[in-house]
Amino acid sequence: MFNEKIVDPAELRHWGGKIELYWIYTSGEAGDRFFKALRDEGKFIAAKCKKCGRVYFPPRMYCEFDFSETEYQEISGKGRVRAYTVAWLDKDEKPLEKPEIYAIIDMEGTDGCMIHLLGEVEEDQVEIGMEVEPVLRDKSEREGTINDILYFKPS
Amino acid sequence: MEIHPNCKWNSSCFRGVMVMEVERISGLKFHKKQDVAIVGAGMTTFKRRLNETGKELSYLAVKQALEEAEMELSDIEMVVMGSAPDAFDGLHMKGEYLLDGSGGSDRPYMRVFVGGGTGVFAPIAGYWHVASGLADVCLVVCEEKMSSSHPHPQSAFKYIWDPILDRPLNPNLIWIFALEMNRYMHVHNIKHEDIALVSVKNKANALDHPCAQLAEKITVEDVLNSEPMALPVRRLDVSPPSDGAAALIMVAPHIARQITDNPVWVTGVGWALDTTMWTNRDLYFPRYVAEAAKMAYKMAHITDPRKEIDVAEPYDPFDYKELHHMEGLGLAKKGEAPILTREGVTARDGDLPCSPSGGLLGVGNPIAATMGVKACELYWQLAYRAGKRQVAKEVTTGVCQAWGDLMQVGTVVVMSNKR
Repeated sequence: MFNEKIVDPAELRHWGGKIELYWIYTSGEAGDRFFKALRDEGKFIAAKCKKCGRVYFPPRMYCEFDFSETEYQEISGKGRVRAYTVAWLDKDEKPLEKPEIYAIIDMEGTDGCMIHLLGEVEEDQVEIGMEVEPVLRDKSEREGTINDILYFKPS
Repeated sequence: MEIHPNCKWNSSCFRGVMVMEVERISGLKFHKKQDVAIVGAGMTTFKRRLNETGKELSYLAVKQALEEAEMELSDIEMVVMGSAPDAFDGLHMKGEYLLDGSGGSDRPYMRVFVGGGTGVFAPIAGYWHVASGLADVCLVVCEEKMSSSHPHPQSAFKYIWDPILDRPLNPNLIWIFALEMNRYMHVHNIKHEDIALVSVKNKANALDHPCAQLAEKITVEDVLNSEPMALPVRRLDVSPPSDGAAALIMVAPHIARQITDNPVWVTGVGWALDTTMWTNRDLYFPRYVAEAAKMAYKMAHITDPRKEIDVAEPYDPFDYKELHHMEGLGLAKKGEAPILTREGVTARDGDLPCSPSGGLLGVGNPIAATMGVKACELYWQLAYRAGKRQVAKEVTTGVCQAWGDLMQVGTVVVMSNKR
């Protein structure tokens, strides 16, 4: 019976179903600091471990490696490209209208990186180690989310 | 009673429906490498909604446990995380997400979960780590952030049901507990008034717990007149959804000696699951708890739990559940738990204090994180560190228990302050 080839499971006796839930994720203690500073002042906040000196970006209320407390500090928001990819398909594996460049950006003055889009640059111009800076949404449009950063551009 | 001719079970069947039989676990092969002690515990406040992320909650609980044990994160060798359905926090692979707040980075780390039973199952998994000799120091962390889930945390429960048989009826989890409570009351002829006494006791006990969400002085009448949810279950028969985290540290004997003169030993662990076809069980008695308890008692050399257990933290998400579980744990005969409660035996100054923490009914019910009021509380009681919640009698041995999945898992840990 396992040899039969089923192309469309809906031809079998079946029930439909979906998980009808949605979530509200709080940004937490450190996340509040980070997103409020980004939204209200266009500033970038990191957190330095009081014990080992490791600087976390995005900021955290604790050091993950020694469980000490951290102190918040402002950073420039600039960084360097550590790795990048040119995406042709979207999250559902549908073709994108225009390929998008996603990069891991090594944030200046921290031990952390973030992932974001690159803009104002063609894919053949991107290099590992390239200096980039953030381009923010206009203050009136900022909502305190990671999308308040439109993209990073070469600086 | 007619015996179903095709029944493959070693138990009596009535028209093909299984009828309760206990006596399943016959032998127990058990060779441990070393004893296991608990030397520190911590928990966050339990609240309906907290701003902290799940990672931050885990960190706060772990930090407290480390401080109590006077240890550093670098002393921790392995980490066990307990967290129940991903649907609450809204994160698939929640265990991995919670890792960095749980002290799990760069260490052997695993997540375990058996629904509501997780709060006592996670310490059981921590026990394996140390008893097997794989680790001398194991940190156990439990976290739940139910407030992320909308429209209501209850909505997430719909998806634990069989998608074909149960889910099309749009069940609410309270319904099945109402059916179980109804069956329990009917079989033993128990009045709601007697069950409500558990809620009155636990919410009052919680007045002495700094982390409590629903500590209150209430009366039996308050319970009986509270909002009907699925009768006989009313609002004050039930524990609330909560956010929170808890942690405890389990160590080998040579480490325990360096930390404290009075460690608390884990002397027995047990767990068991009953069939997922919950409609085919007789709900009046929690067989899964009885099986789990039998395993744990055997390991702990306990033959008469009612006499040998000094203090208990039975799982109390509903008031009738504490009674139900006391009977499963052998702390009361079937149908006797309400009588013991009425006579004050289970009060904090009674002969068998039950839920001296205030339990889930009073402190809150962040599913897995209820480890804080079950396993952590038992440790605090036996270490004489429970402060205002310390029971009046002298204590040596205690039991904590949790329950979950589709009303089918029992998880039991026995602890003692004598090795």
